[in-house]
Amino acid sequence: MAVSSRSISRRKGSIPWSMVVDLLILGLWGAMLVRFWVTGQMALLLHPDYQWLAHLTAILLLGLAALRGRQIWQQVSQFSRLPPVITADSHISLLPRQISTSLLLAVAVFGLIYTPRPFTSDTALQRGITDTLTMTRSQPQRFTLNTNPEERTIIDWVRTLNVYPEPDAYAGKKADVAGFVIYPPGWSENYLMISRFVLTCCAADAYPVGLPVRLAEGQPRPRQDTWLQVQGQMTTDTLDGKRQLVIDASQVEEIPEPRNPYEY
Amino acid sequence: MGQLNSGITLFLSLLVEAMPFLLMGVAFSSILLFFVDERKLIAVLPRNPILAALAGSLVGFLFPVCECGNVPVARRLLMQGAPTAVAIGFLLAAPTVNPIVFWATWVAFRDQPEIVFLRLIFTLLIATTIAAIFSSQKDMRPFLQQNLARLMADPADSPAQAASDDGSMLLQSGTFLLQAPGKTLQLSAPAGQTLAMAGSMPKPFGDRLRLMVDNMILELRELGAVLIIGSAIAAFVQVAIPRELVLSLGQGPVTSILAMMILAWVVSICSTVDSFFALSFASTFTSGSLLAFLVFGPMIDLKNISLLLTVFKGRAILYLFVLAGQMVFALSLLMNLYWT
Repeated sequence: MAVSSRSISRRKGSIPWSMVVDLLILGLWGAMLVRFWVTGQMALLLHPDYQWLAHLTAILLLGLAALRGRQIWQQVSQFSRLPPVITADSHISLLPRQISTSLLLAVAVFGLIYTPRPFTSDTALQRGITDTLTMTRSQPQRFTLNTNPEERTIIDWVRTLNVYPEPDAYAGKKADVAGFVIYPPGWSENYLMISRFVLTCCAADAYPVGLPVRLAEGQPRPRQDTWLQVQGQMTTDTLDGKRQLVIDASQVEEIPEPRNPYEY
Repeated sequence: MGQLNSGITLFLSLLVEAMPFLLMGVAFSSILLFFVDERKLIAVLPRNPILAALAGSLVGFLFPVCECGNVPVARRLLMQGAPTAVAIGFLLAAPTVNPIVFWATWVAFRDQPEIVFLRLIFTLLIATTIAAIFSSQKDMRPFLQQNLARLMADPADSPAQAASDDGSMLLQSGTFLLQAPGKTLQLSAPAGQTLAMAGSMPKPFGDRLRLMVDNMILELRELGAVLIIGSAIAAFVQVAIPRELVLSLGQGPVTSILAMMILAWVVSICSTVDSFFALSFASTFTSGSLLAFLVFGPMIDLKNISLLLTVFKGRAILYLFVLAGQMVFALSLLMNLYWT
């Protein structure tokens, strides 16, 4: 248990395979993080405030991989013979080595191939869309109302509603928001929810917020999950037996999915 | 298909957010394992049981190790003559009461600062209490595994003397290696103990550095694999279990705590990254239950039972488990009933 199971060959010049596997794990994980970084996909996974941590980790992992590579090179090219590595009993195996190694390699390769997708309406319905930030959710520390109504995003509107929930107070105000389409069950044909996911830390805590939209008579129903820019006027309507703020849409335009679909 | 995509995105995001903290924890524990002299530390710790328990709980600020790194350190502390209260306090609190875990918890729960601070307070309270209870047992050896108990000094000797003087080793049978003047290294002991006893053996800097990097990679590999399993479970629970079921479980003041404690026990995720795991339950589970998860998980879980068995006998682990479980449950229930 104390002497590492790592079997570094003592023969000069032979390839220390277990160190090569370490090199592969570190290198592939570093590469996976670099991939998310340069393709901008990191934005789908993390809040912008914490992306630097992942970037730094990518660099450190690649650095560790380089160190391992150098050790392997030294051993193979017989520049120096490394004594067998012993780690103090700081370590007791939790998982068999083969399992931990295969898991790490498999996930790194998967992460290098797979393109993460932003959350969709399925997840929003599963998590429950709100127009209120409930007690378990973020309480804004700073709040200013001096933005023009048509410049407010969905989360701005939701925060405004949280501070002053009376929907009539906003009647007639202009709205211009972008988000994706959800059809909550039980709503009539000409209503939809325009929604966004909000992040405080990473995708694990993404929670959906949304505003109901009333489509004009005869307007075609956009497909679920399409991204829309909705312009219109705020009005009050009764949905799910509750008086709510609703956007009376005057113009609905399909837009491409934004590079960064979240709001913060 | 949408659910599968969401699950994978969730899984990857947990990994990508947690990996920096895991790397940090592994790096710090490796650095300190090889560069901090535990004997000097033990010499300055208080002897009074309550103070020693509190001091042991706070030592985590010097050894930011998660619950996989703390057992070997606690073991060495015991071997080198630290009071029981210090070792147990350290064992229970160090994975939580340390700067890296505090930062990770802050990143995850900055919108609910009460969780960040209560996590520290509850852990300190529980660890100190349990350590004080255990220290009423004058001779810990019946609770410890035999090979460790044999290495420990008799409590009749002054513990301070045992800590500073290795001369008593000469009275034991076995093969010894003379080191610095007055210091011996028992070669016939299991290698781990030999190495642990040799903690203060001067080594060339280059060797230490290599040992440190090797230890880092070793821990990263093992803890990384556990992190992957934990993240996969979190992602699965999020997307596959019906929301009504999760909500009905997560909103009850008692059921939510029990569910999260069982989850903490099973998932065994490292304390430096468990706050991100808990975060994925933040919108459906009560705050008290999230706290129960964050306090209980690092103390006792499925994974570290095997580690604890290298130090304690089963009976002692059961006591630890029952005491910690009850106190976590009581405190988080108080929080659920009276805080929110």
